[in-house]
Amino acid sequence: MKKSISYILLSAALMFSSCEKFLDVNENPNEPSLVQESLLLPAIEYNLVHNVVAGWASINAAHFMQLIALNQAPPNVGTYLLNPADLNDTWRYTYTDCLENLRLMKKQADEKGNTIYSGIASVLTAYTIAYTTDMWGDVPYSQGLNATETFTPAYDSQEAVYTTIQTLLDEGIASFQAAGGTPPGNRDFFYQGNTAQWIRAAYTLKARYYMHLTKAPNHTAAAQAQLALSALENGMQSNSDDLRLVYDGTAGKENRWYRNFLPVETIILSSKTVDSLVNRNDPRIAQLITRSKQNNAYLGRVIGSAGIGSLESYSLGGSFYASANSPLYLINYREALLLKAEASLILSGVEAAAPFYRQAIEADMAHIGVSSDTAIASYLASRGNINGDNALSYIMEEKAVVNFLSSEIFNDWRRTGYPALSRVQNAVSDIPRKMLYPLNELTNNPQPQHSGDALTKRVWWDAQ
Amino acid sequence: MRINYLILLLISLLSFFRVQSQTTSLKGKVVDLAASPVPGVSIRIKGTSTGTSTNSEGAFTINAPSGATLVITALGYQSQEIPFNGQGQLTIQLEEDNQTLNEVVVTALGIKREKRQLTYSTQEVSGADITKTKEPNALNALTGKVSGVQITSSSGQPGSSSRIVIRGTSSLSGNNEALIVVDGVPINNAQTGNNGNGSGISRFSDIDPAIIESINVLKGSAASALYGSSAARGVVIVTTKNGNKDQKPSFNFSTQFSLDKAIYPEVQSTYAQGDRGVYWNGVDNDQKTSLVWGPRLDTLTVGGQPVRNVNPMDAFFQTGKTYTNTLSVQGGTDKSNYFMSYSYLDQEGTIPTTNYKRHAAFAKFSNKIYDNFTATFQFNYVATTAHRTPEGYGLEAPLWTVYTAPFSWNPLPATNEDGTQQVFRYSRNNPYWALDNVYNDVRGNRFIPVATFNYTPTDWLTITERLGADIYSEQSKYHEAPSIPVGTTGILRDRNNNYRQFNHDLIAEARKQLGDDVEVSMLVGNNVFSTYDQQYQLEGTGGFTVEDFDNISNTENQISTENYRRFRRVSFYAQPTIDYKKMLTLSFTGRMEQSSVFAKENRTYFYGSASGGFVFSELIKDKAPWLSFGKLRASYSKVGNDNVSAYATATVYSTATNFPFNGVPGFLISGDLGNSNLKNETTTELEIGLETQFLKNRIGLEFNYFDRDHTDLLSYITLANSTGYRNSYINAGSMYNRGIEALLNVAPVKSENFSWDFTFNFTKIKNRVTELYGGADQVQIGQTFAFVGDPYGTFYAPGYSYNNEGQKLIDDTGLPVIGPSQKIGNIQPDWLAGLNNSFTYKNLNLSFFFDMRKGGDIMNSDDRYGFFYGTPKVTENREDRVVEGVNVNTGQPNTVTVSGQDYYQRLNAIYEAAIQDGTYIKLRNVSLTYNFPQKFVKKTPFQRASVTATGRNLWIYAPHFTGSDPEVNSYGSGNDALGLYGNSAPTSRSYNFTLSLTF
Repeated sequence: MKKSISYILLSAALMFSSCEKFLDVNENPNEPSLVQESLLLPAIEYNLVHNVVAGWASINAAHFMQLIALNQAPPNVGTYLLNPADLNDTWRYTYTDCLENLRLMKKQADEKGNTIYSGIASVLTAYTIAYTTDMWGDVPYSQGLNATETFTPAYDSQEAVYTTIQTLLDEGIASFQAAGGTPPGNRDFFYQGNTAQWIRAAYTLKARYYMHLTKAPNHTAAAQAQLALSALENGMQSNSDDLRLVYDGTAGKENRWYRNFLPVETIILSSKTVDSLVNRNDPRIAQLITRSKQNNAYLGRVIGSAGIGSLESYSLGGSFYASANSPLYLINYREALLLKAEASLILSGVEAAAPFYRQAIEADMAHIGVSSDTAIASYLASRGNINGDNALSYIMEEKAVVNFLSSEIFNDWRRTGYPALSRVQNAVSDIPRKMLYPLNELTNNPQPQHSGDALTKRVWWDAQ
Repeated sequence: MRINYLILLLISLLSFFRVQSQTTSLKGKVVDLAASPVPGVSIRIKGTSTGTSTNSEGAFTINAPSGATLVITALGYQSQEIPFNGQGQLTIQLEEDNQTLNEVVVTALGIKREKRQLTYSTQEVSGADITKTKEPNALNALTGKVSGVQITSSSGQPGSSSRIVIRGTSSLSGNNEALIVVDGVPINNAQTGNNGNGSGISRFSDIDPAIIESINVLKGSAASALYGSSAARGVVIVTTKNGNKDQKPSFNFSTQFSLDKAIYPEVQSTYAQGDRGVYWNGVDNDQKTSLVWGPRLDTLTVGGQPVRNVNPMDAFFQTGKTYTNTLSVQGGTDKSNYFMSYSYLDQEGTIPTTNYKRHAAFAKFSNKIYDNFTATFQFNYVATTAHRTPEGYGLEAPLWTVYTAPFSWNPLPATNEDGTQQVFRYSRNNPYWALDNVYNDVRGNRFIPVATFNYTPTDWLTITERLGADIYSEQSKYHEAPSIPVGTTGILRDRNNNYRQFNHDLIAEARKQLGDDVEVSMLVGNNVFSTYDQQYQLEGTGGFTVEDFDNISNTENQISTENYRRFRRVSFYAQPTIDYKKMLTLSFTGRMEQSSVFAKENRTYFYGSASGGFVFSELIKDKAPWLSFGKLRASYSKVGNDNVSAYATATVYSTATNFPFNGVPGFLISGDLGNSNLKNETTTELEIGLETQFLKNRIGLEFNYFDRDHTDLLSYITLANSTGYRNSYINAGSMYNRGIEALLNVAPVKSENFSWDFTFNFTKIKNRVTELYGGADQVQIGQTFAFVGDPYGTFYAPGYSYNNEGQKLIDDTGLPVIGPSQKIGNIQPDWLAGLNNSFTYKNLNLSFFFDMRKGGDIMNSDDRYGFFYGTPKVTENREDRVVEGVNVNTGQPNTVTVSGQDYYQRLNAIYEAAIQDGTYIKLRNVSLTYNFPQKFVKKTPFQRASVTATGRNLWIYAPHFTGSDPEVNSYGSGNDALGLYGNSAPTSRSYNFTLSLTF
């Protein structure tokens, strides 16, 4: 009896003393608390391309720009019906998967002196916030991505964000020029750590974002065109400079646009996309779009039309941009040429613009694999030379082809009004000019910018 | 020293008595009012420990001194005291008693207490009442029976999980379900096996209802404070069956057979597939559509032939069948007793191919090793298998194209000649193809061993040590073949879950009578609880080059993941109690807890309770003889709770989705922001209760009021993604539950041949969210929201748009304007009630049980999608109409005519149109039992025999709900999708037949 009590007391005493250690089991054994830059970069690049550049906001923009259509009865996104919840995904990928991880990667790279990683982080951060502000207008950046301090970051004005974008690109260029520390090699899906190419891409992006402000308040088209042209002097030199992600196309790892055109999404091409390629006798048509399975014909759906047709009666994205293993582009050399064309048009007129316009088309034909010179020549001939009346519209129409399905088309249309669009039938509003702030922000971070938010509102640089 | 001296004295006194008394052997028999023998009755000589119990013939033998008093007690009967004056033979007739005042109930930590002395509210349900419901999951058997408790089943698929919430939702995002304890040991009741979309299996369904002696529900936190953290949400105490002392082996065999008929949702049966009255045949490639806005079926002919007109649900669902066989034996000697049971349940679902099978073996052996030392060992082994089909809105799930398929389309054959699926629309699978190609196989193996040692060194001290474990492994394999219509490349997901949970309690209880009137007791104890949860998963996608080869090697890309979680908690507790004349009881509890889920600084927390009971009927028993019993009790308690999973304190990096990509690994910071400042949440509760019995216990009325405050709620909040993160755990917010519970038992008729009992219970709980993080006024939890000032579980989604006068706004096209997201409903019911009637006439017993829920909104997602397709019952009215309301631009009454199709397709975007009031009355159970009379049974090898016919869900009245069953939570028992009804397996109307034989 006495013995057993002393045993109990002993075991209780033992229990007390080992208690603290016994309870120290709250360290997560499943996931690391730190990983190096070479593990973050691939995931950031992939998500930026797959879930932001070709994500839902871009798909919505492709609907608004009448590039694609839904094989569903209206109202739907094609007729401008959108809910804030529909933008949650893109916003989340933008801020959590890209921007926060870019911040963490840059912090680590700067500490270790891995300047190439740091440069990539700066350039991709600039790219991501530019995407975000172009879609939404005022967005959180300088106060955001600081969760230990605030759960409700205030928004920056778009004008401030645009200043930051150029600063970040300059910082990135400087980092690449310094080029120290561990090179990323194959962990950089875009350029395998080639700093020369990164610098050219950064300058081309600078030009793109200068041109975005051609009609922004307190900015002049001429000044922006001048800035763009000087940036492009160091910009992309050839098709091999394209900033793009190559997909291997195995199950689950297919190009996003390939997935977007799977039957389950009920996305097909619009009549506008198909008809414009057909009407212009564009030799790229066979690579850009498919013939319908059912009738082996080029057919797009009239957006907003009643009833639902057979999915297989319509054309889809073609082999070049929408195969399982097609690369997906962030910015490309053809765009650089057309930025030159537009800037030259603004500064020096149509004569100066024409050679760049022509080069862009030729480069795109080469890029897509239209090798027949006669086909190229006859296309250029049938399109005719650009002149003072049609130059801007032709440049933008070609830009919509070289940036096939890209959200850059939405930016260009808002800036220039080209390619010209009219409201679709059964539209529930005018043609949208921005994305709605996502439900996630409306609910968890109410900000003054949210009041009166509408698809038809204009962002700062989209001044009337 | 003093103690030893006392013991010595006691022992010598006892031996003195033993020598001196003259004993006589008495042979007796105990029968009930129907003169049937009652086995297992305890016969004890008052004031001694000498006793025996009746055998299966109700007979007993006891040596008793003349002049002694025999105390006869049996569960369910009124106890008696009979003076013994040397009679040689004695027949004792027991009166049944549903409300025995001396009823002993099992409370926290397995401690038995007289109900009379309890200072808090509990409610017991007997094992017989549980098996009567014929529910394979004993949790469902409690539905409507226990006040303050809400049980919601998730779907009609065999083995599906159920959610049990006691005294209202208490956590915003954490676990809201009660703690389940079997014979003093907490067991895991997680929902597992949901590999693929839809609900999973709750692990409570592993417990075979046939081994349950009783279930006692501890509702308030004063009752459960001794259990610590997880008990803040209430406790369900399951006590398993025992053998009896000196009982001859008694075998029981029961066999059951059930037929289940699916209860269909309401759909329109008038119109064919098509658009705007034009028929689409769903066969030709350009004739495929999800729309069922075609012409009338009854007059539609194609090529002179009438088109098919078959309800796709009739064709798809089958009659479910359940077989259950149970064999048990119990018995005992003077020193030991045992109970053993084996049962096999084999259930075929109403969805073809689905099934659930359960082998359950249970053994319990208790032995008195020394007079003051008893050891009990028990072992529960359960093997389950289930074949399930995904539910909900995953595009792969089969029910999409059953509930929304046109009557005019023939789903068979599931595949065309070229091997492709035969579909009436794109983007969804053929339901029959999905059955064969999209499924989840779950295999569970579970052990629940418990060892209990009871050591009574002196008559006033008991030391109990209890060791228990809950160990299971679950393998699940989800198979989804590549589907062209849905655009998937196929998934094979092989998951292996190993779970271990250990619980150790060391309890010492001292009990001392001070003088004649006062009894004091002190309980101290220590608890160590730990869990280890390991999960391995192999997921293969793509490939599937070899047909019907369900191996991961048949896939193109494989990802393997490993995840394990450990959790530990150490506690010390004490419970002093003082009792005066069995009239006034005061009890206190205190507990110190250390939980591994918090950082060191916040790891330790204390809490406790104070409660008192006053049996006032003792004071007025002479003046008010009609009052058999009256007790008033009050308690105040505070319970800490570590309602958060392990590893919430730090932020980690996770492998990025779709990585390795191009052969390169990739990581991203996890979307969950760690919070090292987390601390325990707290529940504070005031409970006041009144228990009364009138007219010799013919009427019993119990009434409770409670006020529970939940503060510092451990909440998994959604962050604005602009912070860089998706979610974080924080101590945020508070809410309260205030409610009343009433329980009325009446025995209007009680005679030798006929008796009638009825029980009515009622629960009304007012739940309010009072504060959220950072002054926010709303937070999203899964599919619903919590708004400050509202009950938990608000549906917040686009509704109608109204002007200031409350008139619906209509746009220029004549259709309702899609309003902004707004509060459009709430899941919390107004009240719950249950009514049970039981009639016994001689050997025949008839009981029927109704339960009812008033209010509680449901988002009928099937109807919302259906509005677009033209399938819900309301879309049968397709006339052109002028929607009532005013034009949004002019403010004038709307005069524009729209078609039925345009109207309903607009409602698809107005979620408010799919909110339905979940009020229901259910005839949940009707049971008719015939006990074969003894005179027949005697001629057989059996001692008792009975047959029972039971009907479940025979009648459901749900005036506002158009789905299958308003009780269903389509996405399982978690918080994520409360009140959401969407593509879930229908519940069933069941008919059960049982034969039970005792020999």
